[in-house]
Amino acid sequence: MVWERIILEDITGSTPFAIFREAWQGITLGQEVGALKQTSTRRLWRWISIISLASTLLLVFGFGYAAKDLIWPQAEPYTAKAPEAELPEAGLLSESSEIRITALGDSLTKGFGDDTGQGYVKHVAAFLKEKWNKPVSVVNNLAINGLRADGLAKLIAGNKGYQYPIQQANLIVLTIGGNDLFQSVTGEKASEATGEFDLKQLEQGIPSGLERLKSVLDQIHKLNPNAHVVYVGLYNPFYDMDELKDASLYIAKWNQEAYSIVHQYPNMTLVPTYDLFESALSDYLSTDHFHPNHAGYEQIAVRIVQALK
Amino acid sequence: MDRLLPLVQNETIKIWKKKRFYVVIAVLVILIPVFTYAQMKISQNNAKNFKDWRNQVMNQINDYQSMLASDRIPEEWKRQRRIAVQQLQYYIDHDVNPNTPNAVTFTRGFMSGAVTLFYPLLVLAIASDLVSGERSTGTIKMLLTRPVKRWKILLSKMIALTMYVSLIVVASAVLTYLISGAFFGYGGWTMPTFVGFTTSGSEMDTTMVHAIPQWQNMLMQSGLIWFSSMVVALLALMVSVLVRGTAASIVTMMAAIIAGTILANMSSAWESAKYVFAVNLDLTVYLNGTPPPIEGMTLPFSLAVLAIWALVGVIVSFSVFTKQDILN
Repeated sequence: MVWERIILEDITGSTPFAIFREAWQGITLGQEVGALKQTSTRRLWRWISIISLASTLLLVFGFGYAAKDLIWPQAEPYTAKAPEAELPEAGLLSESSEIRITALGDSLTKGFGDDTGQGYVKHVAAFLKEKWNKPVSVVNNLAINGLRADGLAKLIAGNKGYQYPIQQANLIVLTIGGNDLFQSVTGEKASEATGEFDLKQLEQGIPSGLERLKSVLDQIHKLNPNAHVVYVGLYNPFYDMDELKDASLYIAKWNQEAYSIVHQYPNMTLVPTYDLFESALSDYLSTDHFHPNHAGYEQIAVRIVQALK
Repeated sequence: MDRLLPLVQNETIKIWKKKRFYVVIAVLVILIPVFTYAQMKISQNNAKNFKDWRNQVMNQINDYQSMLASDRIPEEWKRQRRIAVQQLQYYIDHDVNPNTPNAVTFTRGFMSGAVTLFYPLLVLAIASDLVSGERSTGTIKMLLTRPVKRWKILLSKMIALTMYVSLIVVASAVLTYLISGAFFGYGGWTMPTFVGFTTSGSEMDTTMVHAIPQWQNMLMQSGLIWFSSMVVALLALMVSVLVRGTAASIVTMMAAIIAGTILANMSSAWESAKYVFAVNLDLTVYLNGTPPPIEGMTLPFSLAVLAIWALVGVIVSFSVFTKQDILN
């Protein structure tokens, strides 16, 4: 009989697995004989069973290993060498071969209010490319909506992810302080301030806010003394409201004091923006009446690019 | 062993001859290149915008942080984002790239993304007509008139099913690796990955985090996927015993799984949903350190829930199948 011959071959030679031999003998015992007489089916069974058995064992092992590792984890400290960014060469931006921008700060740097999502940072990159005709790249835009200067100082101090792009850049742009100032009055986020506040309190918030700004600039300078840093000054988004028009005086005071901090560092510049948002306020503010719109950001970028050499 | 093995052999060959496994392979061969291509586009875009992966990851962290600042976002999302931020930060602090584009990383990501819907679907392609199919074609009578105990017949089906579930998991891993490797390169086996993140509320505990090479991570993840696929398979077998038609059987299981997936996405408010098997299917979250669908779920909990469901499924299957009357 055909299958007897095959079984004989199997027993005498090809397979070392007793279990399959048993299986093949099982066939001859009369179970489900019909389809299995053919050798092709037999070979198919052999392949499926071997591969699936191996797969099952592997997966069960993987499962057991995962369960063990996750239920009774063993901590092993992992240390990798921290990346050392090469500081850019000191010197004029217009003479460096490539411009790498890192942006830090609050929602203004994030580009909040710009319908196209560009913000001033991408405009600056585009304008600089046009101006000097050299490669310009944004290393990273690490702005966070609602960030205050103390938050930024903490992030830079304790986070390699912030230090690394600061060290890579030769141009650093930042906006910070607006939230410090308006929060000192309302306790809310700047974008949610309704204008129901006391201007006196605004004045009281200035010294502590400047203290934080100084700490931010100081850290940036220590991390990367070669980069050009542009600090974008504050503006009064409520200039068109009669009772809040005078907030501009305190904003001016902030900008004045901020300038005296920025002035201490040779590579830092303060770019003023307050004048843009006075009479032309409605052209440059977005619908939330706090952040600039696309055109507003574009004007800020124009200012920044003008100030760079 | 006697007489069971030939039955298993018979069932295995029957499933193969029904060409269901071919369908599974065909689905994989068609879908994997699609996802690979999509992923390649994303990688290319990232490579264009970020010269350094650290900046890309920092940007991702940053986007999440900006989202956290918004009051409009539900607390549940914020919790997830906060944990994602801490996890990404851990990778940054240890200078390990969490998403290097290579075939192993892609395979790992693809498999963990597929665990809640795609694997169950593939398993159902095999499991759903194991018994109901025999009933609708009438071949069940041929089976049951043999001098073999009914429980042995069902057990042989179960063993054959287990074999195919293993084949599906391994075949999908191998195919994904082979296909995506053509785009991303076949490396990445030894790349370090971190496991052992534990979450409590929106805080992440990193004290138990340790690095393992990616091949090990992949093996562990495949094991977890196999476990949840087995639970789906056993429940599908139960449904197949209970329901007459194959279509009804597939629809029932698919409905349960899709409902579970939706529930997992929105059930944070309804805590008892964590006892639904489909909410627990994604065991890979415990490996990846992403927060589970419902706060307080842990790996032992999910394993227990799944095991109980599977056990009930097996008990129901056997008790019904051994007593059931077979009418025409």
